[in-house]
Order: sequence, then C-alpha cells, then structure tokens
Amino acid sequence: MGAYNTIAFDAAKCDGCGDCMSACANTKVGADDALKEAPLGGTARSRIQIGGTAETGYELALCRQCGDPKCVTVCPAGALGKDLSNGVIGWDAAKCVDCLLCTVGCAYAGIALDEATGRVAKCDMCEGNPSCVKACPHDALKLVTTSRIYNEVGGWEDLFAPGLAGCQGCNTELLMRHTLRRVGPDTVLATPPGCVPGMGSVGFNGTTGTKVPVFHPLLTNTAPMLAGVKRHYKRIGREVTALAIAGDGGASDVGFQSLSGAAERNEQILFMVVDNEGYMNTGMQRSSCTPYGAWTSTTPVGQGAGGVHSQGKTQDAKNLPLIMVNHRCEYVATASTACMEDLYDKLDKAIEASRRGFAYLHVYSPCTTGWRFPTDQNMEVARKAVDTTFVMLWEYTRADGLHFTRPVDDPLPVTEYLKAMGRFRHLSDDQISHIQSKVVENLGFVKQLAHGAKA
Amino acid sequence: MSTTTLEAPVEAKPKQKVILCEGNEAAALGVALARPDMVAVYPITPQSSLVEHVAKLIADGRMDADIVDAEGEHSVLSVLQGGALAGARTYTATCGPGLAFMFEPYFRTSGMRLPIVMSIVTRDGITPQSVWGGHQDAMTVREVGWVQVYCETVQEVLDTTIMAFKIAEHHDVMLPVNVCLDGNYLSYGTSRVELPDQAEVDAFMGVKDVNWHVALDPLRPMAVDPLTGGSSGRGPSTFVRYRKGQCRGMQNSLRVIEEVHEEWAKRFGRSYAPLVEDYRMEDADYAIMTLGSMSGAGKDAIDEARDAGKKVGLIKIKTFSPFPVDVLMKSLKNVRALGVVDRSVGFRWNCGPMYQETLGALYRLGRHVPAQSFIGGLAGADITVGHFHRVIEATEALLSGPASTEPVWLNEND
Repeated sequence: MGAYNTIAFDAAKCDGCGDCMSACANTKVGADDALKEAPLGGTARSRIQIGGTAETGYELALCRQCGDPKCVTVCPAGALGKDLSNGVIGWDAAKCVDCLLCTVGCAYAGIALDEATGRVAKCDMCEGNPSCVKACPHDALKLVTTSRIYNEVGGWEDLFAPGLAGCQGCNTELLMRHTLRRVGPDTVLATPPGCVPGMGSVGFNGTTGTKVPVFHPLLTNTAPMLAGVKRHYKRIGREVTALAIAGDGGASDVGFQSLSGAAERNEQILFMVVDNEGYMNTGMQRSSCTPYGAWTSTTPVGQGAGGVHSQGKTQDAKNLPLIMVNHRCEYVATASTACMEDLYDKLDKAIEASRRGFAYLHVYSPCTTGWRFPTDQNMEVARKAVDTTFVMLWEYTRADGLHFTRPVDDPLPVTEYLKAMGRFRHLSDDQISHIQSKVVENLGFVKQLAHGAKA
Repeated sequence: MSTTTLEAPVEAKPKQKVILCEGNEAAALGVALARPDMVAVYPITPQSSLVEHVAKLIADGRMDADIVDAEGEHSVLSVLQGGALAGARTYTATCGPGLAFMFEPYFRTSGMRLPIVMSIVTRDGITPQSVWGGHQDAMTVREVGWVQVYCETVQEVLDTTIMAFKIAEHHDVMLPVNVCLDGNYLSYGTSRVELPDQAEVDAFMGVKDVNWHVALDPLRPMAVDPLTGGSSGRGPSTFVRYRKGQCRGMQNSLRVIEEVHEEWAKRFGRSYAPLVEDYRMEDADYAIMTLGSMSGAGKDAIDEARDAGKKVGLIKIKTFSPFPVDVLMKSLKNVRALGVVDRSVGFRWNCGPMYQETLGALYRLGRHVPAQSFIGGLAGADITVGHFHRVIEATEALLSGPASTEPVWLNEND
C-alpha cells in the first residue's frame, strides 16, 4: 500500500461559513437545495457536514477513508469496499440493500442517509480534487497525504502477541507494537524489569508475549548483555538488530553505569528508553527522571513535621538524553507518542545508526496510572508536554549536531500541561514558578546546543 | 570412583613446549588454547596481569577472540551472558571486590545454565583493607551454583583452565566453572610449565555447542528466562523443575570432572586427582585436609612426619563445589582424627568453611571423628611447613584428647 490523500480539518480556522457544504452539494447533485434545514443553514445533500457553533467550536462529519473501515465490516451486502489504488471507500449502489447498518458502524458520521434519494451517501474524494477543499476560504480544510505509518506499517507483522496486560490507556503497548513492527523479525529484544515485561512481553510460566527472541536482562545490565549478543552475531557474520526497550529508572539510576559503558564502547545496539518518569511497574516510585514537584509513592504529599510540608519531588529531573549526547553516540533523539511521524523518522534513523554504533532513543510516555489522569487522555497529555516545551523533540548526530525536529514557536504556559494530571495537583504557586522557569531554562540550553551545531 | 588418579598409567607423552611463566600467564595461555570467542576484562589485583596477558595474546594474533574492555565486573559478566546466549564460548577472570560487584549477574549465570569459565585469582575480603591472597572471595559465593575447582600448581592452572571449558560445556553439566588460583602464591608464582600443542587441545575440546539449550537467536526464537514461580498455576512446579535441574547438573559434574581429567591424562600425560587427592593416606590413623597452593607445604610436612614414624596423611580437595562427599567419605574411611586447614573464615560457625562442609561428610560416615578447624594464610600470609607441623601435632592430640570448638589461627602470632 502507498500513501493516500485525505481531507484534514483545522477547527481553529473554521468560522462555520458553510461554503464547503454548498460546494459539495453542487458538485454531487448539481444544487445546494436543501430538503430540510441543515446545520449552519447549509445543505443536507452535502457529503461534508460542519456542526457546532462559534462558542462550542466547529466539528467535522466526513468520511475518513479509514484503513480499517467499520462501515465495510458491518455491510452485509458487500456494497462498501476500499479501493487500494487510492484509499477511497467506494459505495456500490447496485449491491446496497439500504439497511443503513453502515451509518451505525461509522464513528465519524462519514456515511449518512440522503433523504432526497432514500439511500446512503458518502465522500468519494472528487477523484482526488475535492470541491470542499477548493471552496474553503479559511484554509480550514486541506488535502493531505495520510500517515505512512498507517499505510505502510499497518501491513507489517505485529511481533507481539495480542492481549498484553498493560494498564488501561497506556501508550507503551502502542509504542512496543509499532517499534517491533518496524524493526522486524531479525531482532533480539531485551526488556529489563519494568512495565514492558510487566505486561507480559517476556512471558509467565512457559508462555511468551513476543514472537522474536526476547529476554529479561537484569535491571542493571541491559546494554552490556545485549551488546554481548550483538557482538557474537557480528563475529560470525550474521546481521541481527539488537534492541532494548527499557524504562527510565533502570537506565538513569541503577543501570546507568552499564548504559554509559556500552555507549562509550559504541556497542552496535539500539537502546530505547520509555520514560514514564518513575518506577511505575513497581508502584509509582520516584526515579531520577521524575520531574520536580511530582507526587510519587516515595515522594508523597503530606503535612510533614514542624510545619515543613512534603510537596512531591524536591529535585529536578536528570536529562538522560542530553547525557547520552555527551557520549557522542551514533544517534540520539527524543520522541513522543503524540508525534508518531516524528517518532517513526527517528526510529528509522536509530535502526540504521545501530548498525554502525550506539543509538539511543528517548520516548516520553505519559503514565495513566502513575501520573493520575483519565485513561482517554494519554495522547492529550503527551501533546501538552510537547506544546508547552516541557518535553522537547530533537535529534543529534555527530555530523550534524543537535537540532529540533518539531520546534514550538509559541509554547503554551506549563500550567496547561501540569493541570492535566493529578500528580501535580498539590503544587504551590512557587513550585509552578520553579517548573516554568526550568522549562524556559532547559529550552534555552537546548537551543544553544542547536544553535552551536549550526554555527 | 577412585579417590586418586595420581599414579594413573600414562601413555607416550606428546611433545610439548616448555616455558617459564607465572600462574596468571599460565591461565591466559590455557584460555588461548581453549579458543573462546569472547573474553571480557576488567583489571583488579591480583588478577590484573592475567587479563593483560590475554589482551596481549589477542593483540599479537596468538588468540582469535573478541575482547570487551568493560567498565566494571558487573558488565563483564553481563556481556559474556549475552555472548553465550548467542553461541559464544566465553571467559573472564576476577577476584575479591570485583567478584562482589559482579554478584548480581554471577548468581544468574548458573540459573541460566551458561557454560562460562571464570578464573578467580583468589583474594581475601575487605575490610580490613587488603589486596592479598586468601580464599574468602570464592568461599563467599560457594552456594551460588557454580562449579569451583582449586589448583595447587602453575601447571595445574594451565591444564585445569582448558579442562574447565570442557566440563562446563558437557551436556550433562551446562554450568559455569570457576578455576580458583591462589592470589600471590599462584598468580605471581613462576615455574616451569609444559605447553600443550594446539592441535591436541583442539582434538580434546571437540565441537563447540554452548547454546543448544537456551539461545537468543532469531532463527529459533524463544523467551529466555520468563517469569516463573508464584503460588498458583504452573508456577511452583516450573520453578522447582529449573532448580532441580541445576542440582542435577552439579551432581553430574562430579562424574564429568573425573572423565575429563582422565582424558586429559591420556592425551597430555599429566594427571591430577579430579575431586579429592589422597596423599600418603595408606594406613593413616589421622589426616589433615588442604585446599589450593598450601598443599605443597602440607605434603612436605607430611613427608617429614612420616619419616618420624607418624601415621598421618593428607587429603587435598580440588573440587570444592559441588562438594565431593562420596569420594571424601572413602578417603576418611579409616581416619580417627582430622585437622582441616582453611584459607578463609566461616563467620557463622566460628571455623573455616571447608571444615564446616567436612563436618557434613563426617556425619554421613556414621561414626564420630574428632576434628579441628585451622585458619591460616589470610590476606597473603604464608602457611609454612612449620605451621603444618603444628597442625599435625594438634590433630594427633585429638586421638587421645578432646577437640576444641574454637579454630586455631595459624598466623596469629606471626
């Protein structure tokens, strides 16, 4: 499968003018005559519908041309199908039995009853040149090429077993499945104690959750043990990717010496840290990657003695990826599951770099359980971390130095990030000021590194 | 099982090069002859010259192995675990504080049944601060499932280092092996050494096959060391099966150690008692027990005592782990008093560790044998022929008098 085009909607730019709906109806049925009042005074004959108000914000109802379309799955007549040449989900009027099950299956209101004909209607992308996009005066609709992740990676083998026992809303399973799909079967995978094996990737009592060779190193020796595997395959002339998916605690605390040693020796491994800012698998204890002020089970909030309140962690987080930059690794990058395209670019580069030397990928991974936020907010929390520059996305090579891959021109105040989580609920104004000033300081520091790299 | 193979018949000796070297170099030469794929090194006194020799052998092209200069002993053993799981024959050496730092992966090596060979150039424990020889390091980890053999001479260091790979990789064993050589006395002791021919060693070693049982190999994917145990499902029985397998491997090693020593004697003309050596034990009324390089002085003292008409012999332990109880019982069959000399301390029982282990074997004998613990040679101190005469006299006194529950500290007034 190649990349497909789809229509993207930017709600912030939409003013609800309805020009898109008129254009669609004109194109598809030759008129914008409404059978009945459509939202915003548009037309019910349009395949695109804009709902909402200026106060509540505008929403889009339109076929997403899904890769895994539920309308197709539920259709009992075989009337709906995805055209693999262009990605468009087509409707066959001759086969349709008008049961309307597809309208129930679609979560996006992308296929709906056209009361004028008594049959369903949906977007067909206007042969690749949609009228709605051309008609939008505000740039709120754009024709974009869909994620190559969806189209390419979706077809690769998932090398983890279904049904891993992660916490509800955890994004680490997403990360694991995507990563191993990309790395492929000629891999030896190391997952030291933590959430990754905790959800069953290595297995329990004779079962295993992974389809490639996988092992538990000690919490302390992931990098050298994996390096030993890689070295012997190199010696006997076999190309094997050596991949670690480790937690921040083992990497930044008790396993730091062995990580540093392996990086200094430029061992040909890819070391991925899934940073959920603490020992979350063992019950949410503090690590050196835990940020200032955060509640953890070993930096709890309490009244304290002598009027000195306990207010979460009292030290700033160790910046492990910058420490790895100072090892002059083949490749170092930070990533976030809020920015999967960015993550994928970096994964490609890291895999390639690990054939030459030490590659290090640091992925920020919000922890639904330990950071205390609702289970449907994981991506939102990850996105807020990036948008406030609490987390910065950059990459480093010896040749090109450090540069931002997703610069944030106008960062949101850090409170937008902090207020999304229960672990920061207790923060005083002074603590928030400290965090904001540290965010600014860290951003300035990395900007200096990035600037120096170009100079 | 024979209690001694010292007088084993020797076939025509193959021609061997004779050199002069220290024990650490002999160990390095033995490693080179065994052709490991991977060695990982981190220096520590008195092991350092051993890994320096290994590094130089590789640098000079006399040894074809991947050498990993790790940043500490913990990573040294970790790298080798990875290598072994990919199919490599692996080697390292350490001692004392290095062994202590290595303990986390050390404990795991035997559980994963990885046939890694590691020399322990034995060193006393700190504190008090010391960099000198003593068995405290190796004794401290005697309960971790590694096979541990102790050498008496520099030549035995070289020969045993090669044999250790064959013992470790035997399919009935599949356990890591420590070759213990006394820090200072063997590490730096220089003597005449016969160097086996490489082709002969290759024929002796046979085909390498180290990860048939557990591997990290995309061609035969498996999960290595998934979680086991707990109190439900298959957990308890799975864990017990692994542990029982380790114990069976340890017991199997007693037979394999004897077989490998026997084959070594046939091929190379040098024989060593594989488990327990009886020295002048015929018609002995009482005996002293030794371990490692102290045995030479002990044997000299026994010779002099025999010349003086005393009916005393010496029992030397070579294989300390697993403890060769059955063979030792044969040595003790007619003994009526026993003195056990340790080069380390057993803090829990206020005696030497080998003494404590021997009490267990004596229990199986089914009759009371008075025994005395002697502790000497700590932190580099010498155990001389004179010390051994004191041991012989005190043990002889047990034939007619009571034994003490206090150990005798041989170097206390030196």
